[in-house]
Amino acid sequence: MTTAQLDKMRLELRRGVLVLAVLASLKQAHYGYSLRKQLQEGGIDIDEGTLYPLIRRLAEQGLLDSEWRQGEGRERRYYQLSQLGAELLTQLTDEWQQLNAALGSLLGSATEENS
Amino acid sequence: MDLVQRYIAAVQRELPQTKRDEIGRELNANIMDQLDMLSEQRGELAEADIAAVLKQMGHPRTVAQQFVPPQPLISPGYMSLYKSTLFMVLGILFLLQVVDSTSAWLSSQMSFLLYMKSLASGFMQDVLLGFTSITLAFWLMSRFEPGQSSQCEQSWQPEQLPKAGPHWQHISLQDIFTDLATYVFLLIVIWFPLWLSPEQLANSRFLFTDSAHQILKWASPLALLGIANSLWQLKQRFWSRSMLLSNIVLNAAFVAVILLLVASDPLLKLETEAWQGVLQLEQLERAAVTGLVITAMFPLWEVVRDILRLRKLA
Repeated sequence: MTTAQLDKMRLELRRGVLVLAVLASLKQAHYGYSLRKQLQEGGIDIDEGTLYPLIRRLAEQGLLDSEWRQGEGRERRYYQLSQLGAELLTQLTDEWQQLNAALGSLLGSATEENS
Repeated sequence: MDLVQRYIAAVQRELPQTKRDEIGRELNANIMDQLDMLSEQRGELAEADIAAVLKQMGHPRTVAQQFVPPQPLISPGYMSLYKSTLFMVLGILFLLQVVDSTSAWLSSQMSFLLYMKSLASGFMQDVLLGFTSITLAFWLMSRFEPGQSSQCEQSWQPEQLPKAGPHWQHISLQDIFTDLATYVFLLIVIWFPLWLSPEQLANSRFLFTDSAHQILKWASPLALLGIANSLWQLKQRFWSRSMLLSNIVLNAAFVAVILLLVASDPLLKLETEAWQGVLQLEQLERAAVTGLVITAMFPLWEVVRDILRLRKLA
């Protein structure tokens, strides 16, 4: 497999998970840059070009509330999980845990077969 | 900071009018946060540092597309219907153009080359109009109802699907419309005196003798049957045994008619003065006979092909 193929598949694999990570991180209000830092500290590295448009899309779908606040001499747009977003996050978390358990056993048996 | 403002303005130019201010404002806040963090680490920033941050963010067009992804002209849900409509309408326009150009050719002194040119240029004009109108209609549908699937796609039943068969069993629209155009052309050529005025008739350049024309007249029900056969194919779009049989009979009949024409002597009615010094009449007669024999090869080939296919379906 070429590096390009691997990168493409990694991107596809991460795409859905990033939504879950962003929703989970926005239980507290964050502005774009602080959210990125928090995700990085949590071990999820995401570039600006992906993160900022993603937050806007989630806000447009009503999953995030947003407001402009003044701070440190400059305005920033803060985002936080909305009521709808919180409900969706609960459902997605359940889904993720089931999927993770199923994948864990599948990947575990695949690893045993390979070794 | 002039670089940042130029960068944001460049991104905004790539965005829809309604989203420019808001995305620009947010992008500015995000860039400023990044620059603040960088200046905390390095002290006062040089223009090259700012340029490096902007370069890392990506080309303004790429950034704009990340915020507002480009929408396809036709939404994927409509693509299949769009292509079928396009082929169907272009096929019908081709038939109409055949009727129009053939009528003009038969009622004037137009040469065969000019006839082909008139057919091609007329069809190209129709294609431009048809393609533009259909694309515009589907673009509007995609804008207002992007996810709509057709009634046919919603109410389909697995039992109604055609049998799984070899690839050739699917009949392409191109084949159907080519056949239809041929039959329509044939009918116009045979019956053109019916809609021509006496003056136009006097100017016409019909080349066959009366006896050959009579044979063609007797063959016109075959062209009508051919049209019915093509319409049947258009409805089914899948070769069945009965459809193959009717195609074999039809094409065999066409071969017989063409061979009958070849046998009729003389075949062509030519004005000797017009052709004097160009070609000898015998040469023209021989060329026409050869042309007809070659033409007969096409339906004959279809007869052989369909017999083989019929045996495969048995």
